[in-house]
Amino acid sequence: MAYAVEMSNICKSFNKGKVQALDGVNFTLGRAKIHGILGENGAGKTTLMNVLFGLYRADSGTICVNGKPVEIHRPKDARALGIGMVHQHFMLVRTMTVAENVVLGLPSSKAPFLDIKSATSKLLELSNVFGLKIDPGAKVWQLSVGEQQRAEIVSVLYRGVDILILDEPTAVLTPAETRDFFKMLGKMKAEGKSVVLITHKLEEIFDIADEATVLRNGKLACSTEVSNTSKQELTRMMVGKDVLFNLKKSSYEKNALDSNERLKVKNLSALNNKGLSALDNLNFSIEAGEILGVAGVDGNGQSELCEVLTGLRRIESGDISVNGTSCTGREPKAFIDLGVAHIPEDRHMTGMAMNMDVSRNLIIKDFDRKEYSFLGILKSGAIERNADRAIAEYEIKTSGAEARVRELSGGNQQKIILARELGKNPKVIIANQPTRGLDIGATEYVRQKLLEARDNGAAILLVSADLEEIMQLSDRIAVMYRGRMTGIVPGASTMEEIGLMMAGYDNTKPEACNA
Amino acid sequence: MTEATAKSAFNSVISAVTAVFTALIFGFVLLWVCGYDAVKAYTTMFNGAFGSANRFAETIVKTIPLTVMALGTAIAFKSKIWNIGGNGQFIVGGALSLYVALNFKLPALIMFPLSIFMAFAGGALWGGLAGYLKAKYNANEVITTLMLNYIASFLLAWLVRGPMMDPAGFGFPQTPLIDKSLQLSSLLAGTRLHSGFIIAVIIVILCWILSRSIFGFRMELIGESHEVAAYSGINVKKTTLMTMLISGGLAGLAGWNEVFGLHHRLLDDVAGNYGSMAIVIALLGGLHPLGIFVSGLLFSALLVGGGTMQRMSGIPLSLVDIIQGTVIIFVISRAALTLKSK
Amino acid sequence: MFAGTIRMSVPILLPALGDIYTQRSGILNLGVEGVMLMGALAGFLGVAFTDNLFIGMVFSAFIGMISAGVMAFLSVTVKANQVIAGTAITILGAGLSSFLFRAIFGVQKLPPLVREFPVCKIPVLSDIPYIGTIFFEHNLFVYLAYILVPLTWLILERTTFGLNARAVGEHPHAADAKGINVSLTRYLCVLIGGAYAGLGGAFLSIGFMNTFLAQMVGGRGFIAIAVVVFSRWEPFRALAAALLFGVANALQVRLQAMGVPFPPQALQALPYIMTIVVLLSVSRRASFPSAYTIPFSREER
Repeated sequence: MAYAVEMSNICKSFNKGKVQALDGVNFTLGRAKIHGILGENGAGKTTLMNVLFGLYRADSGTICVNGKPVEIHRPKDARALGIGMVHQHFMLVRTMTVAENVVLGLPSSKAPFLDIKSATSKLLELSNVFGLKIDPGAKVWQLSVGEQQRAEIVSVLYRGVDILILDEPTAVLTPAETRDFFKMLGKMKAEGKSVVLITHKLEEIFDIADEATVLRNGKLACSTEVSNTSKQELTRMMVGKDVLFNLKKSSYEKNALDSNERLKVKNLSALNNKGLSALDNLNFSIEAGEILGVAGVDGNGQSELCEVLTGLRRIESGDISVNGTSCTGREPKAFIDLGVAHIPEDRHMTGMAMNMDVSRNLIIKDFDRKEYSFLGILKSGAIERNADRAIAEYEIKTSGAEARVRELSGGNQQKIILARELGKNPKVIIANQPTRGLDIGATEYVRQKLLEARDNGAAILLVSADLEEIMQLSDRIAVMYRGRMTGIVPGASTMEEIGLMMAGYDNTKPEACNA
Repeated sequence: MTEATAKSAFNSVISAVTAVFTALIFGFVLLWVCGYDAVKAYTTMFNGAFGSANRFAETIVKTIPLTVMALGTAIAFKSKIWNIGGNGQFIVGGALSLYVALNFKLPALIMFPLSIFMAFAGGALWGGLAGYLKAKYNANEVITTLMLNYIASFLLAWLVRGPMMDPAGFGFPQTPLIDKSLQLSSLLAGTRLHSGFIIAVIIVILCWILSRSIFGFRMELIGESHEVAAYSGINVKKTTLMTMLISGGLAGLAGWNEVFGLHHRLLDDVAGNYGSMAIVIALLGGLHPLGIFVSGLLFSALLVGGGTMQRMSGIPLSLVDIIQGTVIIFVISRAALTLKSK
Repeated sequence: MFAGTIRMSVPILLPALGDIYTQRSGILNLGVEGVMLMGALAGFLGVAFTDNLFIGMVFSAFIGMISAGVMAFLSVTVKANQVIAGTAITILGAGLSSFLFRAIFGVQKLPPLVREFPVCKIPVLSDIPYIGTIFFEHNLFVYLAYILVPLTWLILERTTFGLNARAVGEHPHAADAKGINVSLTRYLCVLIGGAYAGLGGAFLSIGFMNTFLAQMVGGRGFIAIAVVVFSRWEPFRALAAALLFGVANALQVRLQAMGVPFPPQALQALPYIMTIVVLLSVSRRASFPSAYTIPFSREER
């Protein structure tokens, strides 16, 4: 019997060949099977599936669907072949009902009028068959995240797909919702649908999948029947062993007197943008000259943690103190004034003013200080001198201090942020994904600078989805899972150990290393 | 000034000049197609604006409120706050300052600064209201300032027919004149050019200083993105409110200038279509104080010269509107296209 | 007075109904005023040159669409700021309409008149005492406006096009992902808005005054925008809101004539104040079209 999908030798690069996202990947999906795709962030999982769904075009390689070679140029082609995809970010219109969302973009049998009635009855039928509880008449904004996901899935099923791609579907679900969701996947399989499940979570593969593919750095690491493998083997395939860089890192000696505590967080809880719990009773502290690495799958509260620690997000309960001063409920300005530097996750939206020039971006946090202003008026001479110094010191490649930052490369933009944030000997540094999207040279530079700051006595919280980065730089490592820290372990822990913690296994004693 | 800033300033000047030039050519072609003598139209227009001391004075008289109001508009636009409520802020500022001038017997030396303050406060109140509603309730400022324009004009209509109506005005909808000692003195004998011009020049300079100040930097960062502003430690809501207070206050000052310098009283519809002209002027001036002063002068000249053109050669004044509208279309198209090509 | 209120709500209701499409698709067209003026002139020219009222109506809708097309081009294709683009359309529409009128008809002591739109009494219904004269003795424009209320509702709520328009204004990326042409939908919505606004202007010139005056729209385009926000983008509520603005105006004239010691302007200002209040409540519940005034481009997410 032919495979439902067979992709061979798929290559895909971005940025004019600078980033090789997929490098000769083979992928096969059996008919009426559930296939898990595993891998770290940036391993190429979503890219591979976007190629199958027609959002990206592969540079080379072939795709066969049900044994026949096909060309997929756009999502429409994929849909015609019976392929549907549910993205990580839901594509639902909040003010419309589930049924309206489902028929959106489809021709109507009663054109030009909508046929909500027959859509509703067909939806109810689908929800019976697959055990998808859904109210077709409910407005999307009234639905929980789990219900919204069911609405997305039902809208894909409504289009009559045989092959369903789900991108990290359980990332937003509660454990109970996840159980229901798996039941539904089982029913879909029984109905003859083939399902691709992109995930970070090892346990899910063993719970539900028949086959698994592991990707690492855009390459196929392994492809196997789930019954023929073990968790340990798949973990090893996921995280790999090759270390890219050789950074000089001095060993960290814990101060016996415990007087150098720079950042302390007690019983900290906060909500995410949707009003759901994002941080759940966190406790930790970081000392001067120490890097606490925070590993974990994206979306487990890391971003919210960084926002809370810089005053950008309100906290629900708990206490944050910087250098012994409580900052609970203070504005971002208070954190800045206490010496908290922030390398934000989103360089473009948060970290810099894209239409302003280099010199002004270097002072967006300091423009009201005495050195840059006199009687409320900005001193352009001082601002320019600061820029010239930073450009030289951080080797920022720019046509000049007056160039707009949007004209600079990503690595040089990040250098501007580093120059601004690290230039003033900060007491605490909150670094969120500081090397994401940078090339190898820039990545090494950023890591070196972080280590220098640590040696100069800064307390650093480093959030990264890149496990190697965490392992290389951190003195201690915490893993975040669903808003909690599943454990803090010494920096010398093994990758497998941390990989398992990332998947939700809490096999360490919590706070093992935290005094 | 360094090379790069000089270059970008030069580029924006070129872009503005091109837009005006293209709009003038468009007007020229339109005149020609409609069978008018286009050359004569433009020469009368030019002479009408600059042809004699008196005419030039008229042009300057129009420049004063338009420039001051456009400065206020530009401050809001720079923060990407779309304050289109200049007219309402103009009216409330003018009315409040006039109310003080008519009802309190104070020496001119005190009354003069007091009336300026009240004008600013009145405009700031009206603009600040929209700013407050935006900061607090996320209410779209385009709609609120538009509504506040209408509310202010009804308020004005009531004032000049009700509580502030001139008892000796034969029932005309207008207020009494302010005391001679409070009327702005003439700068050029025999013309209507008044000392409000000096105040306007001072305001241009103050706005230029503001644009280079800490506060100006805050407003610019808000305009970049709210995320980066909050990241930089700026209180976004407070700065939004402050921006609208200053923006409205400047429109109020424009009202003061018009009332104390030109009419010496409040009339129905005293703000005319200054609000939309201020938007055009602010935009053509590249939101820069000096640019605004120049484009304010240009549009006043068009308006005054256009009036002469209508009287002398029967070519409708609405040609000026057409030129204004086309100028904006060219400016925004060019701005959007240069952004895209980058 | 009531029949007058009904009649005078038409030049607010028509552009407001059209603007519901435009705003629902995520575009704030501040140029409605200018589009109405162009429509008023076009309607007048159509009747003046052909002596055919129907041609006047069609021509006004056509010119309204062309004028709004400039707005659509600037806001959808050029992705320019909508506030500024709308201001440009208003200024240009005002200038061009009165310039062309003067260019064609010259300066005259009395404005040129065209023939009147006949009043169509609806048989039977117009004989109902009292109500008959209020509702059923009007010209074609008035009936058209009232038919368009349920029609607009039907199109927006019950057709594929209406669903697409709402999706495009609310979540253009989702609409794009489902294969809807976001730009085309926005263009269509702005053009429909232009046609309605053009007809609204033509009501003033050929359906009411039988001539063209440069100031004849008198801010009704902006009132229409207020009506749309006030009605929370819903045609039936827009009808009520248009009547409310009309009643407030008619009532103040009455009260003034009766010498009631109450500032009539306060009554006139009331609908505008209420619009702000409504805006506050919708802003808090975020039932504003989410993509309002935001240009769409596929790359920016």
